[in-house]
Amino acid sequence: MAVAGTASQLTARSRRGVFGFGWNRLWLLVVPMTLFFIVFFVLPVLSMFALSLDKPAAGTVAAKGDFALTNFIRFFSQPLYYESIFRTVAISIASSVIAAVLGYPLAYLIAKTEHPGRNTFLMILVLASMQLDGVIRLYGLMVLLGDNGLINGSLIRWHVIGSPLPLMYNVFGVIVGDVQITLPFMVLSLIGVIRSIHPSLEEAARSLGASPGQTFRRVILPLSMPGILAGMLLVFALASSSYVVAALMGGWKVWVLPVHIFQQVSNGGHWQFGAAIATILFVVNISAIFVYQAVAARTSGGRI
Amino acid sequence: MSDAARLSWPIKIGAAMALIVLLLPVVIVVLAGLNAGDYLTFPPQGLSLRWVIAFIQSETFFDAYLFSLELAAITMVISTIIGTMASVYLARTRFGGAKAMRGLFMSPIVLPGIVLGIALYVFYVSTDIGLARTFTGLLIGHVLVTCPFVIATVTASLVGFDPSLEEAARSLGAGPLQAFRLVTLKIISPAVSAGSIFAFIISFGQFDLSLYLGAQNLTGLPYAMYISLRYKFEPTAAAAGIFAIVLVVLSMVLSSRLINLRKLVARA
Repeated sequence: MAVAGTASQLTARSRRGVFGFGWNRLWLLVVPMTLFFIVFFVLPVLSMFALSLDKPAAGTVAAKGDFALTNFIRFFSQPLYYESIFRTVAISIASSVIAAVLGYPLAYLIAKTEHPGRNTFLMILVLASMQLDGVIRLYGLMVLLGDNGLINGSLIRWHVIGSPLPLMYNVFGVIVGDVQITLPFMVLSLIGVIRSIHPSLEEAARSLGASPGQTFRRVILPLSMPGILAGMLLVFALASSSYVVAALMGGWKVWVLPVHIFQQVSNGGHWQFGAAIATILFVVNISAIFVYQAVAARTSGGRI
Repeated sequence: MSDAARLSWPIKIGAAMALIVLLLPVVIVVLAGLNAGDYLTFPPQGLSLRWVIAFIQSETFFDAYLFSLELAAITMVISTIIGTMASVYLARTRFGGAKAMRGLFMSPIVLPGIVLGIALYVFYVSTDIGLARTFTGLLIGHVLVTCPFVIATVTASLVGFDPSLEEAARSLGAGPLQAFRLVTLKIISPAVSAGSIFAFIISFGQFDLSLYLGAQNLTGLPYAMYISLRYKFEPTAAAAGIFAIVLVVLSMVLSSRLINLRKLVARA
């Protein structure tokens, strides 16, 4: 970032120096995007916050501005609702830890693969699995994990088990789904960091007598921490807010925040309460960013 | 010595496990769509195109597929144009708030899609601007969630750009816009193309927004599959999935020809 910033500053300066004009109207380029984001991003998010502070009125979508904390009081006074915060956070933390452990070796392999063809092939696999519609991937997972699915069906047919294992429509299924969906994001955020660790550091540790395991634990892993943490934050944000994973893999039995939001809005028309839960989900994710920054500052010793 | 040989076996086993987690569900969808039987068993009962044919004849899935393609194409054009313009600004400006602006433009990646969908719907209804449950309303949501991918791809290519090339064009008599068009745009055009492919694919697979911004005649493939998956595993849906998988893989192969995919993960 620092290098990029300096480079672009130099660019702007030299441009002005050489031509004296020309790029003064550079800001015009960012006007469409800025207007678009203010009108269709900032204002909508603000109107949702406003709606969450309205008195409940079933069926009414528009924000009216009759200020009341009713929705939030209702949320935090009933275990059915407030417990779903802990459930959401626990599932998301579990997913981000599993994704980090699972994603690290693949990211390491891709970062150390110099052969251009092989590297591109692996990158295509990761990027394609990131960009493929999540619902399609969940279809595959559900066929694999369902009661009559490939795993249970085969095990029953081979008389290994008598009744199907509960692999889906529970918390386990949701975590598996979240890990599957978010793993490419974790891998991508790790590759850049691992590649930026200079190979000579590894060689120095080895030549000073460290075993490969020690080198990994004492040198590579600490230097990878920024990428691991950034990836975990991304996985947390994606897992905590995924409605479709919780709905399909949890089968409406795992009540996380996005399922509550959908339930309130789509089945009851309780837009104000739904907006309040959406606001709470938003706050949970913002808090995750603060936790990330605190942990990142500590692990990097102030290097970030 | 090949680079793979230098890596220890725990890394290789771990990487293989991650690849299995990533790819197994995709392989299962392909098998389920090409399976001869009514449902997928292991081992499969044999290959057949019956579900692929059923998909092409299916009003639900085929129409949804075409709708997703159309929406993704329009989204791609808009996001690419405004995203590229903003990227050029962000890469060149000296304005101190540019970092915050970039953060704002990138934030749809982490803002929950379900929250953004509700926020936009509430905004449309509250302001009564006639966008609720319309094509334009849905399109706006798709542009929001795809812009970050265009910006990330295009700014990555501008970071290593040598400004003296454009200055050379200027000193040879090109006007500022001409120099930009003939030099800078030419050089960053592979990244712009790759960014537009990303925008297309992200829009094509976008599900969360459709929950609140979609409507009866505004149903894309992800939503149609979600509705069907709630009740049963239709092999027709898996056949539709195959067409989406082919689309994504072809797009990624094309992007890899246009840009060095490694640049995308370079630490910004």
